Formats: sequence, C-alpha cells, structure tokens
Amino acid sequence: MDILPQLILNSIIAGAIYTLVALGFNFIYGATKFFNLAHGIMAAIGGYAVFYFTKTVGLNMYVAIILGIALAGLVGFGLDKFIYLPLRKRKASNMVLLVASLGAMTAMQALIAILFSSRFKTLTENVGTQKLFTIFGGIITQTQLIILLSAAVIMASLVVMLYKTQFGKSVRAISDDEEVARIVGIHTNKIIGTVFFIGSAITGFTGILIGFDVGIEPTMGLNLLLKGVIASIIGGVGNIYGGVLGAFLLGFLENFGIWKLSGEWKDAIAFALLIVFLIFRPRGIINK
Amino acid sequence: MEYLIHLSILFSIYAILGVSLNLVIGYAGLLSVTHAAFYGIGAYTTAIFLTKSNIGFFSSLILGIAIAVVISLLIGIILSKFKGDYYALGTFGFNAIIFAIFLNWQNMTRGSLGIPGISRPELFDIDFENNLNFLILAVILLILIYFSSRFVINSSFGRVLKAIREDETAIAVFGYNTLYFKLLIFIISAAMAAVAGSLYASYITFIDPSSFQLTESMFILTIIILGGLANLRGSILGALFLILLPEILRFVGFPSDIEAQMRQMVYGIVLIILMLYRPQGFIGEYKL
Repeated sequence: MDILPQLILNSIIAGAIYTLVALGFNFIYGATKFFNLAHGIMAAIGGYAVFYFTKTVGLNMYVAIILGIALAGLVGFGLDKFIYLPLRKRKASNMVLLVASLGAMTAMQALIAILFSSRFKTLTENVGTQKLFTIFGGIITQTQLIILLSAAVIMASLVVMLYKTQFGKSVRAISDDEEVARIVGIHTNKIIGTVFFIGSAITGFTGILIGFDVGIEPTMGLNLLLKGVIASIIGGVGNIYGGVLGAFLLGFLENFGIWKLSGEWKDAIAFALLIVFLIFRPRGIINK
Repeated sequence: MEYLIHLSILFSIYAILGVSLNLVIGYAGLLSVTHAAFYGIGAYTTAIFLTKSNIGFFSSLILGIAIAVVISLLIGIILSKFKGDYYALGTFGFNAIIFAIFLNWQNMTRGSLGIPGISRPELFDIDFENNLNFLILAVILLILIYFSSRFVINSSFGRVLKAIREDETAIAVFGYNTLYFKLLIFIISAAMAAVAGSLYASYITFIDPSSFQLTESMFILTIIILGGLANLRGSILGALFLILLPEILRFVGFPSDIEAQMRQMVYGIVLIILMLYRPQGFIGEYKL
C-alpha cells in the first residue's frame, strides 16, 4: 500500500483540528493579549458534556452536542467574568493572568477526572461501523470529513463576523487598543465576555469532534491547547489566517516526522518547531 | 513516625526545588516552567549510573549536576532571546522536549517502564536504607543549597539580578552584560534542581518519565508563588504547606486515584486565589 496519500490526509485532518483550536485561541488572544492556558480544557468540557448527556442522561445526540458547545462557552465566559476580568481591572501583568489560567486549567482538569475517572472514553456508539471514504488512495472516516468541513465553515464565519458585523468591528478595535476602544464608547468588558464565549464554544465543539473521532480523556485539553498555541505562534499570533497556516504546517510536520521517528516524538517535534520559530521569526509567518 | 520521616524527605526535596526555582523566577524575573526537566536529568543520571555501574551515589550526583549545567547552558542561551510570556512558552517547550527524550531514549531510560532498583547512597558505614539517615542527608543538602542561594542573592551578583528584573534596559545602559547574568543564574538553578532529582531517585528507588512532566514544573511554580517570590524562606514555607495540605485529604479517606486528582485541584485553586487576592504569596517581595 502506498503510504503517502494516507500521510497527507492525516496531516490535513490534524491541521484541521489544530486550526479549530487555534481559531478559538487566537480570537481570545487578539482581544485580551495574554496566553489563556485554560483554553484547551474547553475541549474536554465539551467532550465530557456530550458523554454525560448521551450516555447518562440519555438525551438525543444532537441536543447533547448543542448543550456541550453551550456549556464550554459558558465556562469560558465564567472564567473571564470571575477571574480574568477582575485581574484586568487591577491592571495585572500578563504573567499573572497566565499563572491564573494555569491554575484554572489544573483545577478543571482534575475536576473532570474526579467526576468521570481519568480513563479513556469514546463518544461513538459502535466503533468500527463508521462510514469510510477513499480519497486518492487514502482512507477518511465520516467524522474526519465533518472535522474538515467544520474547520472551513467556522473559519469562514469567524472572518465574516470579524469584518462584516458591528460586533466584529468592536472586537478589532479592542484588539488594536483596548483603552481607546473604551474611550470611544465600546463596552469592552461585555465584548470581551462574548469573545470568550465564542472562542471557548469553538474549542468545546472541537473536543466533541475529537471525542467522536478518537475519544476523550481529561488531559486532552492541555495537549490540544499547546498545539493550538504553537500553531498560532508560528502562523502569527492574534491573526486568524496565520493560525490556520500554522496549524496545517504543524499538522504536516508532525505526521511526516513520525513517519521516520516513533509516534511518541510528536510533541517534541511540535515544540522544536515552536522554539525554532521563536528564535528566528517570533512574530510568525504572517508578520503583523 | 516512619510516615513523618517520609513527608520530611519529600519536603526537603521540594524545598530544594522551590529555593532553586525562586532564584530564576523571583530574583531574575524569568518565568521558567522547565524546572522538572533538570530535576529529571538529575534523577535519571543517578538512576542510570547506580543501576548500570558502581560509581556510587555521590559521584552520580556530581555527574547529574554536570549534565544539568551543560544542558541548561544550551537551553539558557536560546531562552535568552525571549521575554515575558514568550519566555514562559519557550520553557514549556523545553520541558516537553526533555520529557520526550526520557520517554523515547529506550536503551538508556527504559522509556515509560521506568528504572527500578536504584540503590540508596553509600558513605562510610552509614546505613542510608534507614530513612532517618536519608532524611539527615536530604536536610544537609537542603541547608547547603539554601545558604549558597542566600550567598548568591546577597552578593553584588544578586543585586544586579534584581536590577535586571526591575529594568533590564537601565542596567544594560550601565554596562552590565545582562545576558551573562541571566544565563548564570539559570545554570545555578538547574544544577540545584539536579541535586533534588538525584535525591528523589535514590530515595524512591524507582523513577519513570511521568514524574518529570510539565505538571511537575507547574507544581514547583505553585510552591514558590504560594510562599512568595524573591524570598527564599517563602519557598521553604510554600513547600511545607503544599506537601502537608494534601495529606489532610488522605485522612478524609478518598480512594488513591481520586486523592491524587483532589490534590491537583487544590493546587489549581490555590493558584487562582493567590493571583486574585495575594499575588505576592505569603511573604513574597516581588509580584509577577
């Protein structure tokens, strides 16, 4: 069997997943300018919410997915309201916010592990009955196809929202200079709250998709987040297109890297890429 | 009694880690989250030499320090290009890369199987199989490291570090080569972490990569932020508090899996509360 088409396909799927995380992360970073390490945990929240609502409560899958997305968004909104907003009002440094988000991530990850145990779980009912498609000799599952489509749709909607709506204009104004935005009468705290909701909801949705594709575990958030952050930075942090570019670059490099090395080197490859970029091109590919 | 000695040994190890990390974060103002990597280097050096050769604990301790010095020199040179939260992100990366090396360098580290059967130190006729004797050794090393750290920060070298933390440009204008100062303190701190690692490996007699993950670096960070940055006594206090606090959970009688997660949750919540209400910790002299 020729391995190349499958490798390319896997890279594209990984790229799409990283794109989704990077989109949410970049969206929030653009407005707040700090590394929100608790962002990845929203994926776990979304995934576990769907697990709970379908397997324990017994709700319809689509209802559960909507509830999961909403829950992830609400948790992100709550984090901003009760932790980041008070800190921002006190003019806390970026590092204080970073450490606070680290605490939030650790606490929520542990909470999920307590509630659902740290064992690996899958959202699909019967593994192995997924529809498979063959594209240029590579195999792709139905879920993976949905991941690809979602990444494209969400990215397009985010761009439309940012550049065509009043809300998007406000977000971009805050991203340029929060203080000036406030002076001209934009309710910056309200807008940032909404940004947190949307960004977190996107990541929650990503977590659900991953849950259907491979499965969920409490620690999935940190790993995803780091990939999302790396994608954002190598692409150009705070820039939507940059994040997408970085995500696909990362996806390809990781998958082609483990072609020759063992799979456990994946994370090391990602971080090595990050460090190379931090040294030679700290502003990313798309230089703002 | 045996249990108290066990806790005291753990406390000594974490106090060493806290004091040494405080040199970098508290005094030089560099948010490093890679301390567990150097801790692991010390632990693995001791583990490998004690199981594969008969050079003895103290020689392996020195070798561990030497390797940590070389690696921290290389990492420090790269990190010296970064500032603020990018610095933190870079250190994340190095922790992940070194963790991947522990996990994948199978013929040396045995990967995720870990290294069992590490022997206790041998010196004259002292029996270090006895935990009380081991505790005395750990405390002696802690005292040595505490006082050498105090010597470093009270020297003119330490004053320059604090000046760099407050305003790097200003101190550079006076003709100080700030790169050299930051690099040196990073190396000193890494060497001390390696000592803690050697102690840990020899005490527990078994190590595997999971003890040296990013989460461990975050735990050490919690210790020094809780105790207070730029205060060495604070780090000792922080280690004492965070080693003892979760022991209360043990008496409540949770199953061990849940207890470990509860511990993580406590650490996370402690970080959030500190950032919100007391960013300088118990007795800190510097805020992030």
